[in-house]
Amino acid sequence: MNNMIFLLRKMYWLLPVIFFTNCSSSPEKITHKVYTIEIKQMQFQPAELTVEKGDTVIWINKDLVAHDVTELPDKSWSSSVLDPNKSWSLVVLQSADYFCSIHQVMKGKIIVQ
Amino acid sequence: MSMKIFNSFAKLTGASIVCSVVMTTHAFAQKSTKLTDPEVASVAVVANQIDISYAEIAKAKSKNDDILQFAQTMANDHKAVIDQAVALVKKLGVTPKDNDLSKKLLAGAEKTKKTLNSKSGDAFNKAYIDNEVSYHKAVISTVENVLIPDAENKELKDLLQNVVPTLKAHLEHAEMVQKKITGK
Repeated sequence: MNNMIFLLRKMYWLLPVIFFTNCSSSPEKITHKVYTIEIKQMQFQPAELTVEKGDTVIWINKDLVAHDVTELPDKSWSSSVLDPNKSWSLVVLQSADYFCSIHQVMKGKIIVQ
Repeated sequence: MSMKIFNSFAKLTGASIVCSVVMTTHAFAQKSTKLTDPEVASVAVVANQIDISYAEIAKAKSKNDDILQFAQTMANDHKAVIDQAVALVKKLGVTPKDNDLSKKLLAGAEKTKKTLNSKSGDAFNKAYIDNEVSYHKAVISTVENVLIPDAENKELKDLLQNVVPTLKAHLEHAEMVQKKITGK
């Protein structure tokens, strides 16, 4: 028993180290997700997608014809032309409506929650 | 089936340029024998080539941004479809074969091109986009009611089915442009 008390006394110097180690541990790591939107049969599938800020969205053209992915209404970002089987990705920071500027009836929406 | 196609085209009468589309309708309505796969391939390629030829006229004659953008899309998309069709028939060892339907389509297109070439300015823009709406309705009906049912080869049938959403998006786009430039 005496030996045990002696050992604990010897370990006192370790307490601040343990305390600060716990306090200075890195904050919880944020993991961003990656989502895929397929462009097929002249539609964005899914047409509406909810993500978190910082997530990545990949659009892949599975259609017979070329498409693009362009922000609405200001065209503030665009994929440029995506030929069949080509893809383009965007790190999403805010909600946005978008369309295919080649086929203007094709529309989609990204919602940042 | 022929009567159904005829009725859908009968609604297209009214403007002079539509007459050639109606002639095309008669071509479909008169089709009584089943098309072979080489004939289906021929009609599919010809139908796409015709819309490219209309687009080339629009690109040469129009100064309207909406018409020019639509025409360029038609030229690009229909060429992409032809490329897919040509690659498929090559793979299948099929040679597209002219037939009464493809010949009548071409004859109707010659009349439409003559009409389009006779117009300019706003009248041309209206004639072009009105024809695009009518033509895409006609082609969608033909693909769904004639070419897909008649096609025997599964890959040919699948390609035709995959083309339908493109044609429907073109029709919707044409109607949007038509509404914008004519206020219809």
